[in-house]
Amino acid sequence: MTAYVIRRLWQMIPTIAGVILLIFFLFNWVGGDPAQVLAGKISNPEQIANIRKQLGVDQPYWYQLWVFVQQVFTFDFGRSWSTNEEVSRILLTRVGPTLTIMIPVLVIETVLAVLFAIMVAYVRGSVTDRTIMIVCTVAMSISFLVYIIVFQWLFGFILGWFPVQGWSESFWKNLFTYAPLPIMLAVFVGLAPQLRLYRSFFLDEINQDYVRTARAKGLPEKKVMLKHVLRNAMIPILTNIGISLPGIFVGSFLLEVFFSVPGLGREIITAVNRSDFPVIKAVTVYLAILTMLINLIVDVMYKYVDPRVSFK
Amino acid sequence: MTEPNQDLLLQVRDLDVRFRVDRKHEPFRAVKGISFDIPRNSTVALVGESGSGKSVSAMSILGLLPENAIVAPTSRAIYHAAGGAAAGRDLLKADLAEMQALRGKDISVIFQEPMTSLNPVFTVGEQIAESLRLHMGMTGKQAEARVIELLTEVGIPDPQLRANSYPHEMSGGQQQRVMIAMAIACEPKLLIADEPTTALDVTIQKQILDLIASLQEKHQMSVLFITHDLGVVGDIADYVVVMQNGEIQEQGSVRQIFERPQHPYTKALLACRPRLDRRPKRLPVIDDFMKGDGHPHLEERSRGLSPEDPIILEVKGLNKTFFLKEGLFGKRAVPAVKDVSFKLPKGKTLGLVGESGSGKTTVGLTLMRLHDATSGEVLFEGRDLLKLTEREMMAYRRRIQIIFQNPYASLNPRFTVGQILMEPMKIHGIGKDQAERVDMAFQLLKRVGMTEQSFYKYPHEFSGGQRQRIAIARCLTMKPDVLICDESVSALDVSVQAQVLNLLQDLQDEYQMSYIFISHDLAVVKYISDEIMVMNNGAIIEVADSDEIYRAPREEYTRKLLSSIPKGLEHAADLAS
Amino acid sequence: MSAVLTNPPSPPAIESPGLWTLAWRRLRQDTVGMVSLVVVAFFLMMMASSYFGIVAKDWAREKGVSYANPSFLAGAENLEAQAMAKKVAESKVPPVDLSDIDPLAPRYKEWEERAAKIAVTEVKRAESLPLGGDKWGRDVLQKVVKGSEVSIFVGITAALFATALGTMLGAAAGYWGGWVNDFLEWFYNVFTSIPYILLILAFAAVAAATGKFGKGILPIVLILGLTGWTGPYRLIRAEYIKHGNREYVKAAQAIGASNFSRMFVHILPNVSHVALVQLSQHTVQFIKAEVILSFLGFGVPVDMVSWGTMLAEAQNELVIGKWWQLFAAGAAMAILVTAFSLLTDSLRDALDPKLK
Repeated sequence: MTAYVIRRLWQMIPTIAGVILLIFFLFNWVGGDPAQVLAGKISNPEQIANIRKQLGVDQPYWYQLWVFVQQVFTFDFGRSWSTNEEVSRILLTRVGPTLTIMIPVLVIETVLAVLFAIMVAYVRGSVTDRTIMIVCTVAMSISFLVYIIVFQWLFGFILGWFPVQGWSESFWKNLFTYAPLPIMLAVFVGLAPQLRLYRSFFLDEINQDYVRTARAKGLPEKKVMLKHVLRNAMIPILTNIGISLPGIFVGSFLLEVFFSVPGLGREIITAVNRSDFPVIKAVTVYLAILTMLINLIVDVMYKYVDPRVSFK
Repeated sequence: MTEPNQDLLLQVRDLDVRFRVDRKHEPFRAVKGISFDIPRNSTVALVGESGSGKSVSAMSILGLLPENAIVAPTSRAIYHAAGGAAAGRDLLKADLAEMQALRGKDISVIFQEPMTSLNPVFTVGEQIAESLRLHMGMTGKQAEARVIELLTEVGIPDPQLRANSYPHEMSGGQQQRVMIAMAIACEPKLLIADEPTTALDVTIQKQILDLIASLQEKHQMSVLFITHDLGVVGDIADYVVVMQNGEIQEQGSVRQIFERPQHPYTKALLACRPRLDRRPKRLPVIDDFMKGDGHPHLEERSRGLSPEDPIILEVKGLNKTFFLKEGLFGKRAVPAVKDVSFKLPKGKTLGLVGESGSGKTTVGLTLMRLHDATSGEVLFEGRDLLKLTEREMMAYRRRIQIIFQNPYASLNPRFTVGQILMEPMKIHGIGKDQAERVDMAFQLLKRVGMTEQSFYKYPHEFSGGQRQRIAIARCLTMKPDVLICDESVSALDVSVQAQVLNLLQDLQDEYQMSYIFISHDLAVVKYISDEIMVMNNGAIIEVADSDEIYRAPREEYTRKLLSSIPKGLEHAADLAS
Repeated sequence: MSAVLTNPPSPPAIESPGLWTLAWRRLRQDTVGMVSLVVVAFFLMMMASSYFGIVAKDWAREKGVSYANPSFLAGAENLEAQAMAKKVAESKVPPVDLSDIDPLAPRYKEWEERAAKIAVTEVKRAESLPLGGDKWGRDVLQKVVKGSEVSIFVGITAALFATALGTMLGAAAGYWGGWVNDFLEWFYNVFTSIPYILLILAFAAVAAATGKFGKGILPIVLILGLTGWTGPYRLIRAEYIKHGNREYVKAAQAIGASNFSRMFVHILPNVSHVALVQLSQHTVQFIKAEVILSFLGFGVPVDMVSWGTMLAEAQNELVIGKWWQLFAAGAAMAILVTAFSLLTDSLRDALDPKLK
């Protein structure tokens, strides 16, 4: 297995190189001269001149690329164009709030989705099944924005159960006062698509031959579902979770914007609004690397979930 | 009122099963009111071709039908658990809990595809133990011990080790043995075996059949054996039930069926399978019996090679190795074809026999340059085909053609039959203009026994046998010199197989085409070939005239292959003569 | 073979159904699918008529009073409109008389006479509009219609772009294999290792900052298309690999069909239904994405209206009790997306029926 891990890490290198090239191409080539970009956003010409010098904008492209690569590997992206805060510090401090919301969301949503999906798969074809599916479809077609606006207004403004917005310094206060409304909202909205997806996983398994064998052995239907089907369906379910793991670091930027949570998502939106390229570049490259590492870990864990997987 | 009959284990009466297709159409009648008995301690074979309803009948006994199945209320399946005066109970009216108590304990099932029928994420031992814990109330330790016993009984080596293996780590034969172990774990009175050997290699088939037969005797259980192969039936069954299109055409003891078949369909099934001891000029087909005079034409055809035959194709030292990635950076070499050489005379048939993995299919594909050969020569009229450029090869493409195994995948579903036939003509510039090509297509369709209207239809409207005919017609548009038949009749029902074999033979007689006939079915190969090559593990084991090889096989492996052929029909032939 | 050319028999009276015909028949039987199709068609027609100016041409005109009530609430109190009216009235009151120190004072009379000669139509603003008005009194109903034009157009165009791009690349990778596949897989990995929203925002950042992506709706179409090709790529590549191994393609190779023929004449028709479903799914996805992006200000420019811009305005309106813009935009979008999603499901079932 060590050979497998080493090979995968080795294979990551061209992909990381590709990401660096893509970001460079996008921000340095297409993006071009910060002076143009920032015109009108930063009025201080000295500041702009500094930035240009730092990036080596006057230098040929290969030099700029070299600067960028260095930045990636020394974790030093310089300073934000707008707040002048160190980019690396920005990233590190913003991850906490994002995860405070997203990890509970991931856990609660998965548990509920799997539970409901099994129940719906059990009564497949019935009126209950069809109704729930239609409800899910309709729920999924209402924009997330509408949900946020309505929830914020209803639970925060009208009923006053939760603060409409805000964040504090204390972790526990955040978790129990400020986070619940966004968490509830995210789970509520995310449940419908997950339920549909997991239901399809369960139905795929129910049609397999081994389920017929299990029934032929005389197993009660509950056991067939909860032992045989569930165990097999966990494979695509875990794949799905693995794919969505990198996304929790970006968090739901809409939630963070609406609820004034100082997380990574909101930071990115602000950076885009202010054309703060260093922040965006840094976040993108690091999240890409993080995604690759998460994928590798998930793939390795696969071996314990699916005995058919072998590492070559 | 059903009289309790000590001898009978299960009585099926008026079984009628329909399938709901959609709201608009009438439900499809798969089984049309059949009745048969399964006596205690005996093997009943349920025989029929695809679509006969045999599997549906067997599955309905245990209530294992798909959700859209409708069983008529007049159908009954009366199960007599114990002998004596007690009346049996109707399984079709039993509730779910009763059935679940019965399944796996009194009545067990083994299926056709053991790979997919076993749960891939649980060990083999766990799956067997599950039955034991459920029905016999064993504890973990007890179950473990019993699992080892069972695995030993079904002939799995290293049972301690194997109990902790996963299904995908075992071969097809071993997986089927595991299924059998699971089925007999709780000492059932009836074992339903749904085509258990169809997906296995010929040599493994024999082993599994022997295993089932010995278990039947040892445990005194009954076996309901579902199959399409009458040859198998002759070896193992006591009683035979012949089904066609959802109805029973004939049933009786095995002697009766083989010695004195009454129904034309039974006679046809018995006759149209190629035999090892005879080689009629034409294989009898169903129509001969159902519509004709019922007497197959027994004029024989002789086969064999003579030294004066002109050679049309010569293969020298053909090698094909596949390279698979392994380890950190390495590659593993898997030789599929090892140094194969042969000569193909004009107008004759070379049979290529082997089990799965022997490399026989790879030889065919490599000749056609559908795979790239690793080394070797393929000499056609003196030119080495493997050394030609793609453009030069075009001129030769039309002269060597191939018919694949799977009739459902070898025709483009989005093309009409007409388009399928016209395409090769367009590519090779056959025919003066469109009108002439269309005319040629019609002629060919008639030649292969299809109607001219087929020209306008799509492949999905045709059966397997008809699609193979279309594939043959496609090859004929180019009038090839050499035709490779890669397991071309293996996926067809026995009666359809006979028709297609007759067609191929007629075409060879008319056009003097040379065939390379690849198959795992020894009886078919012997029937149609002049010379036979036996392959194993990529290498040629033995080459001889087809009569010679069956009379006096030289190699060990050839003998093993020959002994695996079910003797049922020959046995019957002996009885009849 | 006969030397005489016979007349080919005419095509059969009953047309032999191809797979598309069969799929259409299956779709026709699906009530939910047909209803969705009608709804989607209705929205498309609305979009077309809006584009050609038949309806909603003057959506930007401030027809009503500020926050005009919807017709079904016509009588309700409208504090904002009253406040607005008051402000306007106040501005008409003549200012303090400064004529003794004002150097321009002598000329006022002359200018007033001149101004009076020019006809100025003072439009009477409506008290209520069918679906209400927004802050500037613009007709919400017309905004919804115009907004649908933009949102749907962006959705479809971006989906066409992404699906076409993904299909071409997927076909190349799946069919050719070898280094073409290796290169495209690398490319795919690069794109998919960046979380999707982040990728879109990165493109959006550059587009917004530099304007090099074009003007109007072109930037957002490009952004969505250049980031969304990965889904179709994956699926079409898998299909091409699967079909490339099928016997009918090998048979085509055996009879001498060219690579081009195999890729586009043989395999593509067998794979196009997958591309169609992808197109439909991505349209839904991109309509939703456009709404969010426009809401954040990275989507359509401010002089255009889309459902996203309407929701942006609606955010603050809810607090003062004006809910109709939120409702109108939210509901219109919900209806279209539901219909489109159901249509996609029905399309998939019709094209590739499996037991449910």
